[in-house]
Amino acid sequence: MNRLASLQKAVAEAIRSDVSCGQTPSAGSLAGLVAASHRGMGPADRLEVYREQFWLRHLSSLEEDYPTLVAILGAPAFRELAARYLRAFPPRTWNLERLGEALPSFLEHGEARAELSELARDSARVDWAFMAAFGAPDAPPFDDRILATTPEDRWPFARIAFHPSVQLLMVSHGVDELRERVQHGAPPGDAPEARKHLVVWRDRSCFLRVIAIDDGAFELLRILKEGAPLGASCEQVAKSLGQNEADLGPRIAQWFQQWTAKGWLRAIDFPAG
Amino acid sequence: MGYRERNHIPDLGVGVGFRKPHVAHVLREKPAVDWFEIISENYFAEGGIQRSNLEALRGAYRVVPHGVSLSIGGADPLDHDYLSRLRDLVRRIDAPWCSDHLCWTGIGGIDVHDLLPLPYTRETLEHVVERVRRVQGEVGVPFALENPSSYMEYRESTMTEYEFLAEVAEQSDAGLLLDVNNVFVSAYNHGFDARSYIDRIPADRVVQVHLAGHADRGSYLLDTHSDRVAPAVWDLYRRAIRRSGPVSTLIEWDECIPPWQTLADEAAEARVVRDQLALQPARAASSRLA
Repeated sequence: MNRLASLQKAVAEAIRSDVSCGQTPSAGSLAGLVAASHRGMGPADRLEVYREQFWLRHLSSLEEDYPTLVAILGAPAFRELAARYLRAFPPRTWNLERLGEALPSFLEHGEARAELSELARDSARVDWAFMAAFGAPDAPPFDDRILATTPEDRWPFARIAFHPSVQLLMVSHGVDELRERVQHGAPPGDAPEARKHLVVWRDRSCFLRVIAIDDGAFELLRILKEGAPLGASCEQVAKSLGQNEADLGPRIAQWFQQWTAKGWLRAIDFPAG
Repeated sequence: MGYRERNHIPDLGVGVGFRKPHVAHVLREKPAVDWFEIISENYFAEGGIQRSNLEALRGAYRVVPHGVSLSIGGADPLDHDYLSRLRDLVRRIDAPWCSDHLCWTGIGGIDVHDLLPLPYTRETLEHVVERVRRVQGEVGVPFALENPSSYMEYRESTMTEYEFLAEVAEQSDAGLLLDVNNVFVSAYNHGFDARSYIDRIPADRVVQVHLAGHADRGSYLLDTHSDRVAPAVWDLYRRAIRRSGPVSTLIEWDECIPPWQTLADEAAEARVVRDQLALQPARAASSRLA
């Protein structure tokens, strides 16, 4: 087993390298592992077939997952960035859909941050939100009878569970509109600077959607998603908006109607007793 | 009693790989295809469009999962999360069997997402046999190993690929998925005789055959699944079917996917081959009677 593991380690290292297999420092030892071909292909040429496929497969996968970022940067610059990302975050799961999971944080916190515009970094976050919504688990449909049957005095204690696909993002540009254009094959065009609160989710027909919502609704969603009870959450939102809770009441009712209609709610739970 | 009979492996006829460009057409029109194969990992998610498409597909066709990431020959431990997802998928679609490749796909926790060849040694054989047994125990349906296409061989190998594959199948009592195009590609790349390979595979263990196209890269052939099945591969298919009898056959096409009709034409051609070979003994018998 140790022998098999060391052979596999040597091969995997060679094919993940960004230097061609004939030029790696370990080329000599690899030649001792891999047989030469009767067609004149040496060990390095043979490994090179796999190395090319490694980069092709993973860069293409990332390109597919980040269409808006590709449109903003252009394919060559995106590939250069994605290659750096792959070196820092090599694929660690069988699930290729999760390959780009750490890219937004790599762009936000790594050395790439200084080279990229805020628009590019926003785009990466929005593109990933779509991937996360795509792969999220299903949830049983929300039973809205609870809205009509729950006594009013219990609502402050309610904890709201949302559909697992619901993703919240704050961006500084109209990336949602830019992505929409890119998805329809149009040039990306400009994305004017505009602070937006976005929700990305998978609807009941499994289509991926994005919508901009107002600050208050976004803040309430954010706090509720963290698990806070409804009463305390409304209080916090009212304070942040400089309103009193009573005035905010009708807006909250409207927001809940919208969330229910869009399928964002999964369940409402009340503490026992 | 042969492997297929013992394990009640049905002959599903000729199927096609279920791929994104044709999902809407297949689910809407329900074209005349005997069965579909899915890439297992694409349907491991606990929700979303793929899961709902699979339910719709399963409502109209038999479906068989085919994996690319099990890493049966990997030195890392088998991934229990992966196996439990595979078991759930197999149960959800009531699969008659499932399959993956004789290969490794990663090491040290890093997945290279490729079907890398193994050194064909006694040590590797024991390792693979033990893992195949565990996979069979976990998934609960017959498991078939596919011969990979490969571009390199190891100096330390002491057995041919067909010897290794046959022995793994015998010792672990597994099925085989014979990819005829892979035999052709590897035979070209490594200089062995594809016909001898086909002739030495235990025919009664073949539960399924793959047919696909490849690309000529000058000094080697690349298994791209991007073209029609090559004439020489059809010849190998005839040879394989003559040995194993009619077994479930699948047309694979994964790159530059053509219009549905092209896939249907390839499937029809495979059906003709199967039917002609199935009729041959009957023809011989009727001519003797005349």
